[in-house]
Amino acid sequence: MSGLLSPQDKEPPRHGQLLLQLLVLLLFCLFTLRFWYLQVHEGQDFARKARANQLRQEHVYAPRGLVRARGGQLLATNEPAYALGIVREDCRDVEATLDEVSRWLGLDREKVGEVYRKGRGKVKPFEPLIISHDLGFEEVALVEANKLRWPELEILVRSRRNYTHGDLFCHVLGYVAEANEAELERDQGLSLGDHVGKLGLEKVMETRLRGIKGVREFEVDVTGRRMAEVNTLPPRAGEDVTLSIDLGLQQLVHKGMAGKEGVVVVMDADTGQVLALVSEPTFDANHFTGGISTKEWRELSDDPRHPLLNRVTQSAYPPGSVFKIVMAGCGLHENMLNPAETVFCPGHLTLGSHTFRCWRRGGHGHVNLRRALVESCDVYFYRLGMKLGVDRISEFSFASGFGKPTGIDLPHEKGGNIPTREWKEKTYGERWQKGEDLNFSIGQGYTLVTPLQVARYISALINGGQLLKPQLLADAEPEVQGEVPLTGDQRDLIKKAMVHTVVDPSGTCWRARTPGVTVGAKTGTAQVTRLTDELKALKDHEIPYALRDHAWMAGFGERDGRRYAVVVMVEHGLHGSSGAGPVVKACLDYLFPRAGRGHR
Amino acid sequence: MERKMLLSINWPLVGITAVLFFLGVLNLYSASGFRMEEGLNVDPYFQKQLIWGLMGLPCMAIFMLVDYRHLKTAAWPLFWVTVVLLISVFFVGKTIYGARRWLDLGFMHFQPSELAKISVLILGARLLSRDTGKLDFLPLGAVVGVCSIPALLVVKQPDLGSGLSVLLILGGMVLYRGLTSRVLRTAVVAFPAMLPLGWFTLHDYQKRRIVSFLNPESDPKGAGYHKLQSEIAVGSGEIWGKGFLGGTQSHYRFLPEKHTDFALAVFAEEWGFVGCMVLLSLFCAFLFQIAQVARDAKDLFGSYLAAGVFFYFFWQILINMGMVLGIMPVVGIPLPFLSYGGSATLVNFCLVGLVLNVSMRRFLFKKV
Repeated sequence: MSGLLSPQDKEPPRHGQLLLQLLVLLLFCLFTLRFWYLQVHEGQDFARKARANQLRQEHVYAPRGLVRARGGQLLATNEPAYALGIVREDCRDVEATLDEVSRWLGLDREKVGEVYRKGRGKVKPFEPLIISHDLGFEEVALVEANKLRWPELEILVRSRRNYTHGDLFCHVLGYVAEANEAELERDQGLSLGDHVGKLGLEKVMETRLRGIKGVREFEVDVTGRRMAEVNTLPPRAGEDVTLSIDLGLQQLVHKGMAGKEGVVVVMDADTGQVLALVSEPTFDANHFTGGISTKEWRELSDDPRHPLLNRVTQSAYPPGSVFKIVMAGCGLHENMLNPAETVFCPGHLTLGSHTFRCWRRGGHGHVNLRRALVESCDVYFYRLGMKLGVDRISEFSFASGFGKPTGIDLPHEKGGNIPTREWKEKTYGERWQKGEDLNFSIGQGYTLVTPLQVARYISALINGGQLLKPQLLADAEPEVQGEVPLTGDQRDLIKKAMVHTVVDPSGTCWRARTPGVTVGAKTGTAQVTRLTDELKALKDHEIPYALRDHAWMAGFGERDGRRYAVVVMVEHGLHGSSGAGPVVKACLDYLFPRAGRGHR
Repeated sequence: MERKMLLSINWPLVGITAVLFFLGVLNLYSASGFRMEEGLNVDPYFQKQLIWGLMGLPCMAIFMLVDYRHLKTAAWPLFWVTVVLLISVFFVGKTIYGARRWLDLGFMHFQPSELAKISVLILGARLLSRDTGKLDFLPLGAVVGVCSIPALLVVKQPDLGSGLSVLLILGGMVLYRGLTSRVLRTAVVAFPAMLPLGWFTLHDYQKRRIVSFLNPESDPKGAGYHKLQSEIAVGSGEIWGKGFLGGTQSHYRFLPEKHTDFALAVFAEEWGFVGCMVLLSLFCAFLFQIAQVARDAKDLFGSYLAAGVFFYFFWQILINMGMVLGIMPVVGIPLPFLSYGGSATLVNFCLVGLVLNVSMRRFLFKKV
């Protein structure tokens, strides 16, 4: 062994020893500093980053508030909707799966493939990629039955709005549908795929109905796979809402208006609550909740009867003779009308070179205010209009709530139009003509009103003069927006004249007579266009539809302290009495049932 | 004499090695786990590591008991055997991940590059201990020239990491011996000049790693991902750590290579700054003990052997910790005792045995 021995006189290198020790020291200091920096100095920051790595949040759907009719009947509910998803991770043969799916659902194979390709980048392999929304029960059953053979298919349950009377309330409730980009941007509470109110009360009451989404927090691994649930904040359901609208009355009106276009408003004169609000024709709001197809949309929007148009809020009409109850009010208010004084109606009135006709060619003879209203004498009101002039009429009209929106809780409400001298100059660049006073006074010309405004004015005539905001919710408190500038006697005078219009044999509103109920009304026949002599010669049914007059009947019914304003406006309905009268009558029958078969 | 030797075994080194190894196995238990919906799944890496450790014990005993001075005669034969094996890898080697590094021995895959480190270490010790005094160009060139042969062969496999390790071990030993001032001066000038040259010999993935190290935010999901996730794991341990099996970065698999190269990050996440300081202290004590053996060795050959082992461990600790802590580029160099690896565990134990060997024979042939 001694042969292996090295020379003894050689010491290991001194500086080498030092080097090793220094390196150990360096190592210690370097990494102590680094550990300290990462774990102590920046530790909290890194801990936050680690949490951000592994924590994901997801919203928990809050059920949308239910909507009920006055009597408690459900109008809008939430229903489960079934969607079909494919979990790619579990897929053995994607093409075969898509073949099968397209066969089951009767969908175009190309389209299914495209949906799949588009979704692939957005959905994680272990999450379901939605192939089709809105599966029927049979399709759901089919998928579930074949789950064993196709484990990658998954049925997803989501919530969808369902309208039990989709066509009856489409213009009141509107509908919900998937939020678009603009809505998502505007509303932080919405996330992709959420449904949001698009129209009607669904839109106006969005915040109340929507509720507050819950949050589910869970841990994920690096691929995004869900691990443990960490935290859940339960959702808060949206508030339920009860409408002031009476389902039975609404149905009745809808039936009465079948085949017609127009608007019906029934309003409680004392509270402003709306009992029926119909814009005809209607559409089924349920078409929109699941995303409407282009074809369905095209059909609805191209329909010449414009079912998508909400005539309650978006249309204003010439009031025709209905405006005479406003004219009467104006004359009384201005003290320029003596109700007892008579005016001679020869059937026409000549102003300058122009002749203004009364609807009765032969004239009414001597008429006072009551007869003028009852028989709707045009000449009487021509003379009144000439006396009052545009300024007084428009001032009174504005004060009575015309020319501006009523403020009903529906979006995009129009205010109609009450012309003034300034308006004429601004709009047409022409001065107001004297003859236009005459047109104004019988509700023609530039005047446009909405049925809601008329209902509110009539309510004011019978409720003590208060202009009330039309309310759509059963729990809404009456909201007084102003007072009609008429004394009690003056209001009574107009009211009585309206009653005589119904009761008198010569009255235009005999169709509204309802035994046991005080009924008052006024008809209106509003010209859509200036009728040529040629057209005048035609019989009613021979006049082209679009040129036929609009028919109005605006009235009220009163019994046992209950008072309702009823306004019916039928587009191109020709005559107020025949076109609109039966619907008014039906409403009054419903509102004031004969003793023994009462509904209230 | 035998009894005296047994009594003079360096027990502190044995103790530190044992503690490090068991900390490593414990950490591997957590590091090889990942969470699924059902709970924590543990791959049995810790068991395998334990078995490798048990196999390492007899190896360590052999390397400790057979007088190290025999290695002096074995140095050249071992070197040539290594070279032959490295060449044979090109012809019969097993290709994994596009690199021919392994020889299939039937029961295990053997990496001749590990052997290269040992044989260069031994040959280097023999060559450097022939003489004393600082190295001048000529003897330095001779030593480096000879030992570069296996290093280059390893780089060609390609295994840049191991090839560099071989050179780094040798470089450490050369520094331990000392260089004349003119060699040092030349080196200071020559090394920076050679850096650009080196850049062009790198593979694309290696270049990407270096770029991402210099600017990790440039590509947080790609090449910079390892560094970022590793820093998050270490940093989020904060002072006290998330507790054993409490690591989320590792169990949710945000951390790459968590049971091998990034095992330290798992440890740091679960044991925090306090645990890391204990571990760092253990490593430093371990290195310090080896340095002491190099100082106390009875002959120069033993001293250089110990110094070689010192650098063998030093570089790995420095590079791996630096990588995990985000101050060095990501290279595939494991952390001794903490990273999983069969061959590496065996070699680690053998080399500790070698140091113990040198240490326990330090009292022989006392100077009169």
